[in-house]
Formats: sequence, C-alpha cells, structure tokens
Amino acid sequence: MSAHSDEPTDERLIQATLAGDDGAFTALVGRYRSRTFSIAARFARNDHELDDICQDVFIRVYHNLAKFRAEAPFEHWLSRIAVRTCYDALRKRRRERDNVSLDGIDIGTEDNVRAERAREVLDFALARLSAEERLVITLLELEENSVREVAGLTGWSESNVKVRAHRARNALKKILETSHER
Amino acid sequence: MSVNLDNLFRAARDATRDTTRAELGFETRLLARIRAERAQATPWFAFAWKLLPAFAAIVIALGVWNYAAASAVDLPTAIVGNTDESALASYLTGESQ
Repeated sequence: MSAHSDEPTDERLIQATLAGDDGAFTALVGRYRSRTFSIAARFARNDHELDDICQDVFIRVYHNLAKFRAEAPFEHWLSRIAVRTCYDALRKRRRERDNVSLDGIDIGTEDNVRAERAREVLDFALARLSAEERLVITLLELEENSVREVAGLTGWSESNVKVRAHRARNALKKILETSHER
Repeated sequence: MSVNLDNLFRAARDATRDTTRAELGFETRLLARIRAERAQATPWFAFAWKLLPAFAAIVIALGVWNYAAASAVDLPTAIVGNTDESALASYLTGESQ
C-alpha cells in the first residue's frame, strides 16, 4: 500500500524493521492498524480482548517478518495472520457459553431487525458455535468475503469452506429457533 | 418459527463496532511489549538442549573410536610380543638352553 509517492512502501518499511528500526515498524502498524482492528472486532467480546488480539497479531507479524516473501501484498499476509490469531482466541475460550444469555433479546424475523439487536442476537448465537463455524460465518456473512477469499484466509479448501458454512448456518438457525421456543 | 438468517446478517453488518477508542495509543503499547520481550533476553543455557544431538553424536563417535582402537589387533606385533615373552619365560625357567 502506498497511496502517496513520498510515503515509503511496505517493503521498505519491512526492510527497515528487519534492520532494527522500530520507527519503521510503528509506521507499518499505523498503516494497517484499523484494518486489523476491524477484523478482530468481529471476534472480540470487549475492548480489552480486542487490544490483546491485535497486539498478538502484530507480535506475530514482527517475529515472522523475515519470512514475508512479498509474493502477495503485505495486507493479505497480515489478514491471514489476523484471522488465525482470532481463530486461536476463539478456541481458547471455554466458559463463554455460560456467560451469555438471550434474556430480553427479541429475535424478530421481520426485515427491520435493528442493527444493535441483530448484533446482540448474533453474538449470543455465535458464542454457541464451534470456533470453525464462528470463523466461517463471520468471514463469509459479516465481513462479506467470497468463498475463495475465506479459503485463502483460513488455509481451508474452497469445498471445505462451503461445507463448514452450510453446517454453521444450520447450527445457527437451530440455536436461534430453539432459544426462541423456550 | 423460521429465522431469516440473511436479514439478521444484513442488520448485524450495519452494527459495525467503533474501535477508535481501543486504537488509541496502540502502537505505544505494542512497542512497549516488544521492547519488554527484547529485554528479557533468553539466556544461553536455554538453547543447551538444542545441542543435545551434537553431544550425543560426539559421545557415540568417541565410543566407536575407542572400541575400534581396542579391538584392532596388530598381528605381527602380537605374535612377536608373545614369542618374545614365551622365549623369555622359557629361558628364565630353564626350559630352553
């Protein structure tokens, strides 16, 4: 990414970082901070967790920067690391299911479901899915990535992504219907 | 009841989280963490276990070399040595003249 010609390219910042220039790494982080936060925000439960995940992402980037081969844009490489870090964070969660409740949340089926309500309902239901199911739903449906992009981000095959997405949608539907019947 | 997932997803997509506050000072916190990690430099002996295969190879090589050296028989020397010893013993005991 280099919108202005006077700005150093990602490659130059990476080289400078590898040479020990912390300022170059800070510039690189500043360039992709918002993108990383927007990915992680779909998975994090609060600002504290969001900060932890994003720090983990950039720490991994920092430690693996020498392995970046510039065959694909840096942003793609970073996004893959961000998605994997979020996936790891999801897998680490254990007792989340017990901590959320659907009490007071109206799962309306009308078209005008309000955004905030929808988010609460989805958070409730997503918390009950497996890490894989949650990841695929978030990347496909909320981040609106294509199947191919999700495959690239997760390292799964395209057919695997489709199968997992199908299962995840069914599981989500079941959770929401069961919760509403209670 | 039939849940319309597409409507739910569409609505949830609009509820984007404002991360502005969380992003404040992020680079500073990150750099502090990286510097803290750097400061906790790993002691040299933390890598000692990585040298284990090399040490094992050296020990095995020494063992093989030692065994080979011990079992290597210098036949002419042994024959001559034995002959000398037996000749000397025979001379001293008076068996030979």
